Amino acid sequence: MKDSTVAIGTALPRADGPGKVCGTEKYAADYYPEGMLWAGVKTSDYAHALVKEIDVSAALIIPGVHAVLIHKDVKGSNRVGVPESDAPVLADYKVCHKGDPVALIIAESREMVSRAAAAINVEYQALPAVFDPEQALLPDAPVLHENRADKNLLLSGAINKGKGALALEECTFSVESEFNLPAQEHAYLETETGVACLNDDGVLELVASTQTPFRDRMELAHALGLPATKIKISAPYLGGGFGGKDGITVQGLLGLAALNSSGRPVKMWNSREESFKSSSKRHPARMHYRLGCKQDGSLHALSCRIVLDTGAYASLGGPVLALAMEHAAGVYRIENTYIEGFCVYTNNPISGAFRGFGAPQVLAAVEQMIDMLADKIGMDPLEFRLKNAVNRGDELGSGVLMSRSTGIVACLQTMQKHPLWINRRQWEKDAPPFKRRAVGMAAGMQGTGYGPVVADVANAKLELLVDGRFRIYSGVADMGQGNNATNVQIAGEILGQSAAAFELLQPDTERSLPSGSSSASRTTYSFGNALQGACRLLKERILTRVCQMGMGIYQEDLLLVPGRVHHIPSGKDIPLTVIATAMTDSERVSVNSYTAPVARHHEIVNPAVRAAGFPHLVFCFACHLARIEINELTGEVTICDYLACTDGGRVLNPQLYEQQIQGGIVQGIGYALWEDFKVSAGEILSSNLSTYIIPGSLDVPDIISLPVETVEDSGPFGMKGIGEIGINLPYPAIANAVARATGRRIKTGPLSAERVWQALQAEEEQ
Amino acid sequence: MKKVLFPLNVEEMWSMWQDNPEAGLLAGGTDLLVKLRSQRIRLKTIICLEKVKELQQINTDGAQIFIGAMTNHQQLLENQVVKSRLGCLHQAAAVLGSPPIRHMGTIGGNICTASPAGDTLPPLYVLQANLELVSPTGSRIVPIEEFIYGPGKTALAPMEVLKQVIIDLPVPGIQTHYHKVGQRKALAISVCSLACYMQLAPDGSVGEARLAWGSVGPTVMRFPEVEALLYGRKISLDILRQCGELASQKVTPISDVRAGAEYRRRLTANLLIRLLPD
Repeated sequence: MKDSTVAIGTALPRADGPGKVCGTEKYAADYYPEGMLWAGVKTSDYAHALVKEIDVSAALIIPGVHAVLIHKDVKGSNRVGVPESDAPVLADYKVCHKGDPVALIIAESREMVSRAAAAINVEYQALPAVFDPEQALLPDAPVLHENRADKNLLLSGAINKGKGALALEECTFSVESEFNLPAQEHAYLETETGVACLNDDGVLELVASTQTPFRDRMELAHALGLPATKIKISAPYLGGGFGGKDGITVQGLLGLAALNSSGRPVKMWNSREESFKSSSKRHPARMHYRLGCKQDGSLHALSCRIVLDTGAYASLGGPVLALAMEHAAGVYRIENTYIEGFCVYTNNPISGAFRGFGAPQVLAAVEQMIDMLADKIGMDPLEFRLKNAVNRGDELGSGVLMSRSTGIVACLQTMQKHPLWINRRQWEKDAPPFKRRAVGMAAGMQGTGYGPVVADVANAKLELLVDGRFRIYSGVADMGQGNNATNVQIAGEILGQSAAAFELLQPDTERSLPSGSSSASRTTYSFGNALQGACRLLKERILTRVCQMGMGIYQEDLLLVPGRVHHIPSGKDIPLTVIATAMTDSERVSVNSYTAPVARHHEIVNPAVRAAGFPHLVFCFACHLARIEINELTGEVTICDYLACTDGGRVLNPQLYEQQIQGGIVQGIGYALWEDFKVSAGEILSSNLSTYIIPGSLDVPDIISLPVETVEDSGPFGMKGIGEIGINLPYPAIANAVARATGRRIKTGPLSAERVWQALQAEEEQ
Repeated sequence: MKKVLFPLNVEEMWSMWQDNPEAGLLAGGTDLLVKLRSQRIRLKTIICLEKVKELQQINTDGAQIFIGAMTNHQQLLENQVVKSRLGCLHQAAAVLGSPPIRHMGTIGGNICTASPAGDTLPPLYVLQANLELVSPTGSRIVPIEEFIYGPGKTALAPMEVLKQVIIDLPVPGIQTHYHKVGQRKALAISVCSLACYMQLAPDGSVGEARLAWGSVGPTVMRFPEVEALLYGRKISLDILRQCGELASQKVTPISDVRAGAEYRRRLTANLLIRLLPD
């Protein structure tokens, strides 16, 4: 690779680019170990039932079927899930949704796996099921997990600030509405997959498509009854994750299979239909909102109720609710708020982590409320937001103090000056026949990291290789966001090296160090901080060693440059290869641990919600604008132009930055207009990508991304994580435009052509 | 494992088929492979028609065009005669699936799948396409409207193959169009589609008009009463609305995971408005 500048702030080409483009980079799905077997599952026919008997005899006699395993074959707890360990590797006494795995088949081919699955006979005793989260909260509702004191309630909480909802009565203007948002499927290119093998030393080795290799290892140890020291997991680049691989997907089944395959390696790779059935989704949300302001347009009171459907198992439902509550009042100063939230078990497919983590739902609601209120008092929606947006030192409506870089006002001002905003009325007027045009906007934020209770720790490891290059031992998986590439930029900047000087080791529980999940907009923030320290340590050690090699006592005289150390006074150079050879193995390796700061004092919310991650300390901010055109004849919505102004702190690499913003927006546009994960009585109706519609390249416009740079002094080189913020605002920005164009609020998502057409009809009939 | 046979000509095709009477015919595979994958059908043997030379070519004698059944949608899209003379068929090929699907799927496959959502079908209905069906013992010509009689149901007899599509090339003064509503801009199955064929007099009044809707009934639908409304009239919003109202009463759409019946009914009417001159 030719040398290119790595300076922070430049568009260094992605280190993972060439290998991915040429097809040489191996994803977990690309592993086909010699002599391997295929594993697959038989899933439940019922949404809720007791499992009376599992007869696998007919499957076992199929030639090529190596083994069929059921819950009795699991030697450990048979439960996975963080923070609640409630999902079975294989269903034991009951099934709680139609994707529950009941038996695991190991066979010579995938075809044999599916034939065996069909031959397994399971006797069920059907139980009454519940599919509506509000009904699941009723006292006589069927209970999914009998051991829970709170029955179907996974987590609930309330924030009561100031006078709470009572203050709505003091408002001059108020609006009220409810919103229903559907589940969203991650739809990553690479469905859940991995290979596993029990090696000769009795170590279970897994290569998996996972955002959490280190956490998976502890979970597998518990679930399968193995010491963690007997489990090794490596996480190659993922073909997409978006939160759907934040935790165990196929790893438990794979591990179990490899423990029962007579030492042969086992591969598992979900079909798209299996992926849709078994993987977690974005939580469907029901939200009821009331919002009021004073005569002068200052927000005064907000009351809302948020109900999230977490499906059959908890997954990360609790933390998602906590983050939703934290973001429920948007980016505004609101003195009086009452925010209550419920995360509820039902017999629907599982909901869990998904880019945005609860924020897309509540921001879709509150940002529409803001527009409705602005309309009511006749204020410009952007002015209205500017008037109420937080500055550093202010408290959000949810009671969270903005103590770090806070750039929402600057984002709004940037949009206010942009031609797409300034010329919006004329553009709307120029709509062609049978078309309606409107411009909508929305503002919001994303808290980064794990919150105040779960330590957000990253451990970076860096090695000077004997050939004079450096190896970065990544502790956090790269699911496509480019954190590994950014690691090169950070290390290159500090060590004065070119990109070619770095070798990247993907996370591996044996060789790299635990550094938390690839999630929560914290990957580069936390690991980058750890890596900076490791770079400085190693640099110091290299320079010290050069001094010891006879170059004097002043490190200030030495300059680390590509491939060598330059001694300024003498003009002499010492190659890094020479220095590396002079160092011992342990000396060439530096390790640095970093723990992210947290907001410590917070009594506004109940301890259970706090434990689930409320509040965050560092936030990134954004406002988005969408220019849309509605076809009056069909209800189809076309996004003509899109603008995003984002405060993600300092931009380390403008290209990676833009990719993250654009990717988030495209996924958010899908959430707004097309993606409708349809489930009826626990049965998935949109069972694959032919009926679950995600946007294609013709459906999204060119996206303008304007960074509004603040400096986040706790972030490496002033950055904040922007992996999620992009997805939070397309829904409300587009919904506000649709409402402006049709005169109607569509309260159920997505804003499909059919729903928009219905809104137009309603207007006509009025 | 499946056996896949590749006959090089019609003669070989018959003999392979006679040796494997249970075989399925693969004319591109964009439907067949989906059905095989989801196990809606099971086949031990597949006869792939992509190398059968008699089914490939597009010919014209100036008055008619002969489109071989194995012509793929991309070839259809690129054909200059189709482009200049059969606008509605060209437009349908342009919005059919995606580039990979257009390179695999064929016009013959689209016809024999007989889905009411098939994009080439409404154009073929308004063009009054004739289908040449061949069997080891002979051939016959069947108009497309008689060939398809239900979703997935065709007049193909056992051991019979669609050889080519024969269309009279419209004379100058004929305009044809295809309009489609899908769930997104590409790679989308039609929720409602409309093909139209109109003979326009110099004064703008309509002579013969043919209209065919897709995805709003068990087959592509034409309504002579609706077409008759246009006769002798100039195209106006008013007349198109009248036609739309009548057509929307006649279609028999279903509600499914893609769209509701009421919405499809309304699209039936509204797609006509797109026929207004710009």
